[in-house]
Amino acid sequence: MEEQMAKIDLSNISHTYNPLDPKPTYALNPFSMTWENGKRYAILGPSGCGKTTMLNIVSGLVRPSKGEILFDETPVTDLKTEDRNIAQVFQFPVIYNTMTVYDNLAFPLRCREFTKEKIEERVKAVSDTLNLSSFLNSPARKLTADQKQLISLGRGLVREDVAAVLMDEPLTVIDPDLKFRLRRNLKEINEQYKTTLVYVTHDQNEAMTFAENIIVMDQGEIVQVGLPKDLFEKPKTTFVGYFIGSPAMNIFHSTVSSDHEVKINDTTIKTNSNLGNLKDKNVKLGIRSEFIELVEKEKSNTVKIKLTRVEDFGNFKLLTGKMGDLVIKSKVEREKPIPDGELNLYFPPEKCCVYSDEKLV
Amino acid sequence: MSKLYTFLKYFFITFWTVFVVAPFLWAVSTSFKDFQSVNSKVTYIPWLDFEPTLEGWRVLIKSPAKGGVDIVEPYFNSIFVTCTASLISIVLGTLAAYALSRFTFKAGFVRNNDITFFFISQRIMPPIVLSIPFFIFLSTIGLLDSLLGLVVVYIVLLMPIAVWIMVDFFNRVPKELDETALIDGCNPYQAFYKVVLPNSIPGLIVAGMFCIIFGWIDFFFAFILTFTEVQLLPVKVVALNSSITPWWSLSASALVSVAPLIIVAFIVERYLSKGNLSGALK
Repeated sequence: MEEQMAKIDLSNISHTYNPLDPKPTYALNPFSMTWENGKRYAILGPSGCGKTTMLNIVSGLVRPSKGEILFDETPVTDLKTEDRNIAQVFQFPVIYNTMTVYDNLAFPLRCREFTKEKIEERVKAVSDTLNLSSFLNSPARKLTADQKQLISLGRGLVREDVAAVLMDEPLTVIDPDLKFRLRRNLKEINEQYKTTLVYVTHDQNEAMTFAENIIVMDQGEIVQVGLPKDLFEKPKTTFVGYFIGSPAMNIFHSTVSSDHEVKINDTTIKTNSNLGNLKDKNVKLGIRSEFIELVEKEKSNTVKIKLTRVEDFGNFKLLTGKMGDLVIKSKVEREKPIPDGELNLYFPPEKCCVYSDEKLV
Repeated sequence: MSKLYTFLKYFFITFWTVFVVAPFLWAVSTSFKDFQSVNSKVTYIPWLDFEPTLEGWRVLIKSPAKGGVDIVEPYFNSIFVTCTASLISIVLGTLAAYALSRFTFKAGFVRNNDITFFFISQRIMPPIVLSIPFFIFLSTIGLLDSLLGLVVVYIVLLMPIAVWIMVDFFNRVPKELDETALIDGCNPYQAFYKVVLPNSIPGLIVAGMFCIIFGWIDFFFAFILTFTEVQLLPVKVVALNSSITPWWSLSASALVSVAPLIIVAFIVERYLSKGNLSGALK
């Protein structure tokens, strides 16, 4: 069989589940994207934002209402699932109950008529990676839920030549310890075999630790694609700001007062954004709690807050304070002494993001 | 209180067991009696109450010319009709059920559930309603009083059962199983028979059991749609009755006709108790 690792192009894809409706609601709004060969991607977003639909379109379980999918420049939109060389792992374990673990793992290879020796070699390799070697001859239905999910995963990884392995929240049923190890295993597999991995999750930590590229989705829309660092430091929309990071980004209603300054509750904050054509408009100012600094003296770009709560997370303290009716959260080092009552918080201009119509200026 | 409960529990269990088993035992005992032992006084225990004889059983395999009733041919007719109709019903019913479970049909106001109900409605109707149409239908196509005609009618009666049970069963098989099979490289037909079907064996067994039971015990259509050429067992058993009721051979034939169902029940019961039915899904 020829090598089939591929670059995957999604071109102007959109999808609705009720195409006959005169005003259909779109599960996926039109978008284009390219998944490079051998990279790790995470699709991140809240439930029902279209993540699974996107995967199903790539694997061919769902035919997009509009647009085209190309594997290495070859259109595959009309190709059936079984003819696309794609592996997909679902959220809950799907195993062939009537078969042994070995037969489960060998099934995708048997369907594609690999030789017996090749099947044996691949099943052995995959079962070693996933710690399933000692169960190979037991009936798959006798295994625990997380072992069953390993089988599902194994069936995806057993074919070396797949264009991509799509995983739809595959580690939900697996306990945290194993989760961590498996994510690392997946990374190793990706590095070793250069298999493109696409990983759907609503857990940002999972996405950040796993992927090189993160695709953030919301309500059928791709809101940002980028490296974990970009998503964290320069969220393109307020949604990404809220969704990524814990606690969520501080976001305040404010008014543009000059080319580089905004006003929150009469306090002027200098930013590095160019706000020339937004004068006197209502915008939002966003800043990560990690970037807000606790300072002793009032200076430019500081706000005065009344401390309402201090939470000790072990490695840092989370301060919650109020400025008027605005709530501000700031992460500070654990050792730092926290004065009582009023505090001065410094907003570094380069870390301030200004959003107009929820989009980064 | 709990003692009373235990007492009542065992009392009712015993009562029910006797209620169910006694007629069988009585039939067994009666099948070995002759005219004398049945009609003189009430007797129960062979050798003690009466002298047992195999006459009641012998009559069943003797040809009518020698004064017997010969239920052997009707017996095999019944086996043939029940098995053939059950098999075809299961095959067609399973395919129909899979389609109803996995695809969405739309024809005017008709949806999947309506189609499923249409199948079941065949069983809701009193058989008498169907008897005249069936009669006319079979006589038109020349299959009245034939095994093939009975098979056709029984398929109509049994397929709804198969569809009903299998739709429910397939609905509980996650559709991700089919999708996984497609992703692993099966075409839709292979996904069905390599993956979904093996997972559905418990459902098939239950459906098969019901088909066999309902096919085997049907008297009504066997009675209406056959005359002299072909006879099925239930009709033959009833026909044994004459001016002098032959209780001995009636009992014997009743036992013989229940036997296959008892065997089926034992096989299925063993299968069910192995936990395969409940554990088939995750």
